Amino acid sequence: MLYLQLFVQFFHVGVFSFGGGYATLPFLYDIAEKYHWYSSKQLTDMLAISSITPGPVGVNMATFAGFTTSGILGSMIATTAIILPSFIIVTIVSKLLDKFKANQSVKGAIRGLKAAGCALLSAVGIRLIFTSNLHLLGTLLLLALLISGLIKKRDPLFYLGISALFGLVVGHFNWIGA
Amino acid sequence: MEKSIYTIFKTFFKVGTLLLGGGYVILPLLTSELVEKKKWITSDELCEYYAIGASLPGIIAANTAIFTGRKLLGTAGAIAAIVGMILPAFLAIVLLASILAELIAKPSVQHIFWGVGIGVIVLLFLAVKEMWSKSVVDKFSLAIYIGSLILALYGKVSLSLIIIGAVIAGIINQKLEVK
Repeated sequence: MLYLQLFVQFFHVGVFSFGGGYATLPFLYDIAEKYHWYSSKQLTDMLAISSITPGPVGVNMATFAGFTTSGILGSMIATTAIILPSFIIVTIVSKLLDKFKANQSVKGAIRGLKAAGCALLSAVGIRLIFTSNLHLLGTLLLLALLISGLIKKRDPLFYLGISALFGLVVGHFNWIGA
Repeated sequence: MEKSIYTIFKTFFKVGTLLLGGGYVILPLLTSELVEKKKWITSDELCEYYAIGASLPGIIAANTAIFTGRKLLGTAGAIAAIVGMILPAFLAIVLLASILAELIAKPSVQHIFWGVGIGVIVLLFLAVKEMWSKSVVDKFSLAIYIGSLILALYGKVSLSLIIIGAVIAGIINQKLEVK
């Protein structure tokens, strides 16, 4: 029964979370309260952890909830459940788009979508700047990496690696808030 | 490189491994791997898949991966892409589940969180620049961009409403232009 519940709950998150990023959070908190597969504290911890582990936080939480309640099989079921709605919805939309690609309304819709998509991505970036407690050194690194990236774009690993190392070193010497 | 189930899986496994910071960086990672290195798709196509993926329900990184995988090699490509992208996340959490609480308490781990956060912002803005050049190309798209950005930052409306508004405006604008 637990397997079925895990599947239903995380499938629900996959269907109803709209807008990405932390859109899954309200649903994940709701699950914590109703089912006690994990606590709200563990969810908050996962939010932080998911910034240095691969994958979106919703997927991480599904894997964690499944694993702590019912081991490997549970974690596979919960992880699949949160992704499955995406798979179904994207497949349908992608087929429809191929069919109506020449349609003027679809063309117009995609033009609007792309501009809005770019704006939403910008908004996430701007929000992150103001909520990340960058302090002086963090702001300097941000500017340095941005300018270097605008001149010559490097592999994403370069930016992630340098900034992780920077955090480790600057944090070690207690310079973050300096 | 040849497009096969295996090469798609391998490419998305790499993207999944670097998907730090909660999934936001899917667009810069896919741009680096699929557009710049493998040249499987164009930057314009990828922006389109991302924009559509972001406007559908579900996790945006997953939607984008499935969409892109489908375009590369149909349903098999979509499965290879999503399994490849999710597998590193899955393995990491299964391995870390038991020490999660201790891990988060370590100062050095907190410092890495802080640092990686900066790298994520850099990647986001480099992706914005790339997406801007493909999506904000005329007065109409500039107006949509500015309107959506203001609403997303200061408006009390849900993101899905912004997307729906942009779609409706796009359809009306196209009708007017064609006439």
